[in-house]
Amino acid sequence: MLKLKEGFILREVAGETVVIPSGDELDLNMMITLNETGRFLWERIAQGIEETDLVTALLAEYEVDEATAKAAVARFAAQLRDKGFLI
Amino acid sequence: MSFYYKIAGLNVKIESFGRTLEQAKPYLSEGDVSPDIVVRSKYEKVRDNYPYLSDEDVEYLASGGAFYRELLKFDGFMLHSSAVVVDGLAYLFTANSGTGKSTHTALWLKQFGEHAYILNDDKPALRRIDGIWYAFGTPWSGKYDISVNTGVPLAGIAVLERDVNNQIEPYSGKDAVLDILRQANRPKAMEYRIKLMELLDQLIREVPIWKLRCNMEQEAAFVAYQAMSGGLKKGE
Repeated sequence: MLKLKEGFILREVAGETVVIPSGDELDLNMMITLNETGRFLWERIAQGIEETDLVTALLAEYEVDEATAKAAVARFAAQLRDKGFLI
Repeated sequence: MSFYYKIAGLNVKIESFGRTLEQAKPYLSEGDVSPDIVVRSKYEKVRDNYPYLSDEDVEYLASGGAFYRELLKFDGFMLHSSAVVVDGLAYLFTANSGTGKSTHTALWLKQFGEHAYILNDDKPALRRIDGIWYAFGTPWSGKYDISVNTGVPLAGIAVLERDVNNQIEPYSGKDAVLDILRQANRPKAMEYRIKLMELLDQLIREVPIWKLRCNMEQEAAFVAYQAMSGGLKKGE
């Protein structure tokens, strides 16, 4: 299961998708921006989702082949894990 | 000791001591009207975080943090920058400490003489009032306490970077958003951070943002002013 920790805020700022942490638990200096695909994945991981279901969701939304979708999800999940964003 | 002040157009009650009250003197107001913001002394709660600072310096940081946090409730926030005023418009230069914000605005003073003054050398308050963005002097204005108690319409904000030559260009996109966000006060509670993001969204849409690469020669002020004095709003 991929699931974000509590406390992240996602907002559109001047056309950019910005994510910043809040509260006492997160590293408050970890501020990032997301592209369109990143936002799609982020919003689903915020709710909590199995990695295989996320690949399925990505395939349904975008015209990509399965290998590409799997790689994209795995890469994004690894980045979030590295930053300590996941539960 | 607590006193009443007018800061960034708001009635503020400050309970404090030492340097905080000293720097706040130009902001004292007449009556004890019901305050918009109350800043309570809290250095005792946070001084363990700053073992290398004196009690009054800790208090100065903590009181500024408390004021700027509450400012978010009044469509305002703090941008870590040096703010110079020329002919009634404010120009802000933001960057990490040590980049040369104050050095650059000192060049503006030299360039424009009596037409120019420093509004706040370190932590101006920005507020959106009736659709217009203003920069304000505040008591929290850096180690040399350079501030003027007034609000001035904002002409533009430049993210400053050291370079060999002087050049300036409009700055947008994710790097611009993150560079401004990094220099804004960011209270840790979610409700304040959401408000900050909403204000930044408005600010970046309504106020020209620039990337200034500059050296410390007089030409830097000339190049920056030429571009930034072009107009109040984007697209004009």
